[in-house]
This record gives sequence, structure tokens and C-alpha cells, in this order.
Amino acid sequence: MEAPPVTVMPVTGGTINMMEYLLQGSVLDQSLESLLHRLRGLCDNMEPESFADHELVYLLKGQQGNPFLLRARRSLLHPTAPWHLRYLGQPEVGDKSRHALVRNCVDVAASHSLPEFLNEMGFRMDHEFVAKGQVFRKGMMKVVVSKLSRVLVPGNTENTEPLSLSYLVELSVLAPAGQDTVSEDMRSFAEQLKPLVHLEKIDPKRLM
Amino acid sequence: MQQREEKQLEASVESLVTRVAHLKGSLQSFIYKLENEYERLTWPSVLDNFALLSGQLNTINKLLRNEKTPSYRSQVIIPLLLSPDRDEELAKLTEQRVPVFSHEIVPDHLRTKPDPEVEEQEKHLSAEAARIGPEVAQKQIQTLNKLCSNLLEKLNNPRDDRDSETSALRQNKPSSNPADTNALVAAVGFGKGLSKCRPPGPVASGHPGQPMMSTGPTLHQVTVAGSSSHQAGMGGQVAQQQPGQPGKMPSNIKTNIKSASASMHPYNR
Repeated sequence: MEAPPVTVMPVTGGTINMMEYLLQGSVLDQSLESLLHRLRGLCDNMEPESFADHELVYLLKGQQGNPFLLRARRSLLHPTAPWHLRYLGQPEVGDKSRHALVRNCVDVAASHSLPEFLNEMGFRMDHEFVAKGQVFRKGMMKVVVSKLSRVLVPGNTENTEPLSLSYLVELSVLAPAGQDTVSEDMRSFAEQLKPLVHLEKIDPKRLM
Repeated sequence: MQQREEKQLEASVESLVTRVAHLKGSLQSFIYKLENEYERLTWPSVLDNFALLSGQLNTINKLLRNEKTPSYRSQVIIPLLLSPDRDEELAKLTEQRVPVFSHEIVPDHLRTKPDPEVEEQEKHLSAEAARIGPEVAQKQIQTLNKLCSNLLEKLNNPRDDRDSETSALRQNKPSSNPADTNALVAAVGFGKGLSKCRPPGPVASGHPGQPMMSTGPTLHQVTVAGSSSHQAGMGGQVAQQQPGQPGKMPSNIKTNIKSASASMHPYNR
């Protein structure tokens, strides 16, 4: 997933290059309640935030092999809210001892004409899914517990079918590059969620 | 003899009063904190407050149990003069809480027996205790003691022992399925298992953001119908590289005027 040759790197325009540190795991439906209770105790004291998002993943196939991937996300609960466009780079192959998956991350908000715009640019929608769940925060860390559902009829988000009997749990931090203490904090937080859910660094290329 | 007892009584009452004043002060500050600094309060500081209160209660208990303290039960307080007038001295002493020493406040402040509800409950409990008989009571006491000692043992022993036995128990109820984890991560990472609903055909640019898949095949058919008479292979001047398509549709862009139908947009994808 390299950027197309028009620009060498995603345009950041003077902003800090943000990296996303990620740990993923899953929890079975029957153990969801205990996980939510534990998260409510461990994370910052606030009302648990529910979300229902529809994510569309757009691909731009360049001349060379790897297509360029962009993720467009909109909220099903707040239809007038702006769309959220995200670029995630390749996971950084740093030292193996780093506990979290690190990859470049660029987030922008976009208007509702985003899908048309992407189509005009030449992107094609590769797949879409609906994610419903809750978000918890602890300082800089964000824990997202979500149920992924497959969209059966493209574009119709009412008719969905769950992908599996588990909820996906993701622990992520958005931080500037080079802060390795972040992954230490994430690991200690992940320890506190064991044995309910094992959050670990999962390389998506391994699962291809 | 009398004098010594009187002196003792006075001294113990004084120390009791100071201890209770400390307790009152810490309770006041705790309540203030709970009411006003609610957002900033953390659980450890609440625990600290509770610990302080329990410590102070402990010292009061110890003081009461002290041998030097005479038995307060043998002392009796009798109000000598009740008046409905406001008494400034009393008001000052009690921080404006008891301004009048009258018939209304005496039953509450000089009460020695517990409240009627509490008395009822105590009667129930003692009746219950008497009912079950001494042997059953003894057995219950023994079970309670055994449970407490077990718990204390578990808490005091090193963590490793605890971890090994609990991990053996927890095997029975796995709360996460690694296969599911992989499936979900693959789905979020690159759409594994999500693209099956796409029909294999070119995608249309007509209605972006809408079901592009369903209009794709129809447009395909229209273009085929429109250009069926001009099927001469990829003779078009603009041989378009159509990105994102699994199957190649021959781009029938002809310079021939006849082929320019409404559906044959040059940027057909």
C-alpha cells in the first residue's frame, strides 16, 4: 500500500506526522459484559460512548502492484456529522521488541460528497462493513469494542449480518513518531484486561 | 474515693470530647470534598478519608475500653431546668445547633435507649438467636471462623500459588476465540470475508456512494448493446486503463460518430 507516485508521502502540510499504535484482540459475546464492566472501572470516568459506523474502504490501483487504500467512515447515529477519512500506512518494521503495531496515520474530516469525490479521483470501493460498539478512553489511550457486520446489499446498512460471534477489541494511541513509552503504557494496560481478552500485536500481512 | 472517681470521670469525658471533635472535623471535610470536588475526587483519596475516619473511631473505642475510664452506664443525666427561651451560652457551646434547651430537644439529645426501630430489630435478632439452639449456633460460628481463616490464608499467601490454581480453573471458560480474533483483524485490515457480495463486473461512475455494484452490470449491458455493431476489438484511440476492475471490458471508444451514444462516455469505467 504505497502512496501513488504523484506525491511521495501523504500531504501533511506542516502538521506532525502522527503514528497509530495498535493492539488488537477479541472477546466472545458471552464475556462482553464482564469486559465492559472492567473497562468502565479502568478507564476514565465518563458515560460509555456508543457508536454505529459505516466504513467504506476505497482502493486506488496504481500501475505497480500495491493499491493505495483509504478508509471513509460515517456515523449511522449522527447522519449529519462529517465523514471521516483515514489513511493508514504499512506497519513499521522496527525492533521486534516493540509491543504495539505502529503505522503512519492521517485523519481528515470530509463533507458528504466524499464518496463521489473519491470515485472521481479514481478510487473504487473495495469493501464496506458496519461497526457498532462502545468507545472508552484512558488518558491518551482509546479502547474500542465493536461488533463488525457484513453489509449484505451494498449501500444498505439496515440489512447486515455479524461477521463472527465475537467483538473486536482495539487499544490504540495516536502519537507523534518516536515515542516508545507509549507502547509500554499500552502493554501494562493490556495486562490488566487479561485473561478476559488478550490484546496483542497482530500483523495483518500474516493473515493474508 | 469519690473525688478520684470524679476526677477520672472528668478527665475521660474531656478526652472523649476532643476525640469526637476530631472525628466531627474529618467528617465535615470529607462531606465538603464529596459535595464540592466531586469531579476531581479519586478513589484512593476517598479510601484515605475512610481510613482516617475508621482510625479515629478506633481510638474512641480504645478510649472507652480503657480501664481508667469509669463506666458511663452508671452515670445518669437529669435535666434540671427546661426553658423554651433561647440560651446564648448553650447556642455558643453547640455552634448554634441547640439554641433552646426545651422539652422538644431533650428526648433526642439525652436518649439512652436505641431508636424504636433499632430496638425492634435487636429483639428480632435475639429471638432468632434463641430459636436456633446452642448446637446449631456453635456450628454456624465454626463455619464462619473457617471461612474467615481460609480467606485470610489465601490473601496472605504469595501470588504465585494463587495464579497457578486460578488459571487451571479458568481454562473451562475461555472468553476469547483466537480464530475469531484473526478473522476480525483480517476483516478490518484488508476486508477478508467482506468482499463476497461484489458481483464480478465493471463498476459504474453513475451513482457513486450508491449501490455501485447493481448499476455496474446494467451499464455494461447497455454499452455492449450500443457498441455491438462496432465490435472490432480495442481499436479505440483512447485505450483506457480501467482501474479497480477484475475483468477487462473492451473499451469501445471509437472515433466513429455513430458510437457516441449517451451511455458511451469517454471516461467510462
